[in-house]
Amino acid sequence: MRTTRRSLLRLMGAGAAAATVRHDAAPVFAQAGGPVKIGVLTIRAGIAAPVGAAGLRSTEWWLERVNKAGGILGRPVQLIVEEESNPKDTVERYRKLILQDKVEAVLGGISTGVTLALGPVADDLGTPWLSWDGTTQKGVEETMPNPKWAFKSVDNEVEAIVAGMLTAKYFKGVKTVAGIGNDYSYGHDCWESYQAVLKKYTPDVKFVLELFPKLGVTDFTSHIVAIQQSKADLLMCSFWSGDATIIMKQAAAVGLFKTMKGVFTTAGGVHDSLKKEFTPEGLLLGYNTMYFDDPKGSPLLKQFVREYKAKYNEYPPYECDHAYFCAESYKAAVEKAARSGRQWPEKAQVVKALEGIEADSLSGRRSWREDHIQMCNFYQGVTTHKNPYDFVTIDPIEVVSTKVAMKPAGSRLFDWINSWKI
Amino acid sequence: MTAHVVNLVVSGVFHASILFLVSAGLQVVFGVQKIFNLACGSFYALGAYVGVSAVAWYAEAGGPPALFILPLAIAGVAAGALGVVVERGLLRFVYDRDETFQLLLTFAVVLMMEDAIRMTWGTSPRSTAGLYLTYGGVHVLGTTVPVYNLIVIGASLAIAVLIGWLLTHTAFGCIIRASADNREMAEALGVDMRRLYAKVFTLGTALGTLGGALVIPATAAMSEMGIELIVEAFAVVVIGGLGSMRGAFVGALIVGVLRSIAISVYPELEMLLIYLIVIAVLVLRPRGLFGGAPA
Repeated sequence: MRTTRRSLLRLMGAGAAAATVRHDAAPVFAQAGGPVKIGVLTIRAGIAAPVGAAGLRSTEWWLERVNKAGGILGRPVQLIVEEESNPKDTVERYRKLILQDKVEAVLGGISTGVTLALGPVADDLGTPWLSWDGTTQKGVEETMPNPKWAFKSVDNEVEAIVAGMLTAKYFKGVKTVAGIGNDYSYGHDCWESYQAVLKKYTPDVKFVLELFPKLGVTDFTSHIVAIQQSKADLLMCSFWSGDATIIMKQAAAVGLFKTMKGVFTTAGGVHDSLKKEFTPEGLLLGYNTMYFDDPKGSPLLKQFVREYKAKYNEYPPYECDHAYFCAESYKAAVEKAARSGRQWPEKAQVVKALEGIEADSLSGRRSWREDHIQMCNFYQGVTTHKNPYDFVTIDPIEVVSTKVAMKPAGSRLFDWINSWKI
Repeated sequence: MTAHVVNLVVSGVFHASILFLVSAGLQVVFGVQKIFNLACGSFYALGAYVGVSAVAWYAEAGGPPALFILPLAIAGVAAGALGVVVERGLLRFVYDRDETFQLLLTFAVVLMMEDAIRMTWGTSPRSTAGLYLTYGGVHVLGTTVPVYNLIVIGASLAIAVLIGWLLTHTAFGCIIRASADNREMAEALGVDMRRLYAKVFTLGTALGTLGGALVIPATAAMSEMGIELIVEAFAVVVIGGLGSMRGAFVGALIVGVLRSIAISVYPELEMLLIYLIVIAVLVLRPRGLFGGAPA
């Protein structure tokens, strides 16, 4: 076989990882066949590249810690990273990871457009797949209620549901609402879920405008004119990338939030770009499932934030914790499955161990629900300038569990919301 | 109502100003070199990133915030120097090839630039923080208009006038128009096409990079930001007429203002309206509103 630059680097990586492993740990499993190969799928190009980079960085941080502490059951861990792009090509790379690289598990998957296609392939190929952020939802409906090998992220619309609940709590008296989101499934689903929840709390609220610019638009001045003209009491925005920063800046230039409340369900994903100069206090801001500045955060979170800042000069966004939990829960499941025997567990045993497992993650305890959906907390709150940074943070911090804000296994979203007693 | 009309017009013309600069770059290159430069959007993105870096450097050096537009504009124009590299290093090899080769090559430049930008500036969106608000806003007929938007509109108008003057009142402009009309004749009369092509492509590139640099305080730089704009720039050149500078000006205004009106009146029509006009122009006046006119 020809040795390529890539395969050489891989070997060197595995060698270096093996050299750092403690040799007193679990020798039985250490003999089970060299390093544990884990595939990682991440986006490194396009608008979601920062999200993909954050997930990969925290997986690498996890890898370093795990290998320093002796690997998984004494075996060093080796990552094989592949690109997540369009569904067709990503499925091919996924197959390559399993059939050619012979990985024990695959971590990653960000875009639901891609992971919707990956779910059935994962079940077909019989290797655990733990998705960072992608679901197997079509709109707000789950397409794989009983997956065998696929483990999926939280439902896409949860942050909009949490934002709907908190809008009712913090912005009482709001009568009219305008909405803006990206023109694809996530934007539309968030808007519909938000409307359904807010309507439940405030039945007489009216939704006066909805705008869905394409993903990648960088000029929202005309959209802001339409929002001003709507004279809504509140703007709900589900932007999650650089577009959140842009609309915030362009809104500040015309003083939009001097007369209007604002709810940014997901903009915490680009939190350190929301500078105080143009991001006012008093907005509702969502950080998805990890808040880097949580004063009640665990020592693990604090260490991670400190080291991430030192290495990348940025404060970590939520994707880091989705990724960390996937890796950590896989390790925990292998260790749990191995307790019953002296052999390295079969993949099916690992899947069984993953079901319902809890693990310490950066933001606290997380778990996998029996139907293979991630359970965790969502962090949202009211923007404040009272912090040592040049960007906004939140105070008070609202922590809402997916046990409260995500549809239960097997239920339909709008039936579930309609069944709420408020 | 008046306030709303002012907002509509200003936001539409602001968008048109940036579109004009990118489209003008596309037009000048097509007019002379007959190359449809897909990479004009990438030059726009490059200008935005270079602008962010220039402003960051300026702020670190302690420059007064009110004058940040100077380093921004200088950086935008300077980034246009990449045009010489692309033209001499790549494009000159495909002038005599089929148009498909030229399109593929400029598309390859788009992909390479996106990667180069990512390698240089990283994957996260980059912005100039709150500089956009430095000049504040002016109150016009009951509404607040950001002064920076007016500066961009003014700069774009000034560049349009400057290009018009360059094309009609200078020897260089005369050579450009002659070469656009009849390349062989211009060459026979002693025009050094190698140098002219390098200069024209650099001019086209500089218009795109300047557009990117000027817009950056109001937005954020993202590596794929050029792709979105190039689609609209195509609509502009089809409406205005391929190769026509006046066409770029009028086409950009039409696209910018109509987009703004559509978003306010019936948002679902935003892109549809523009393409309906593109289709109407293609059916009724296939060469565009100013097609066939000298560049």
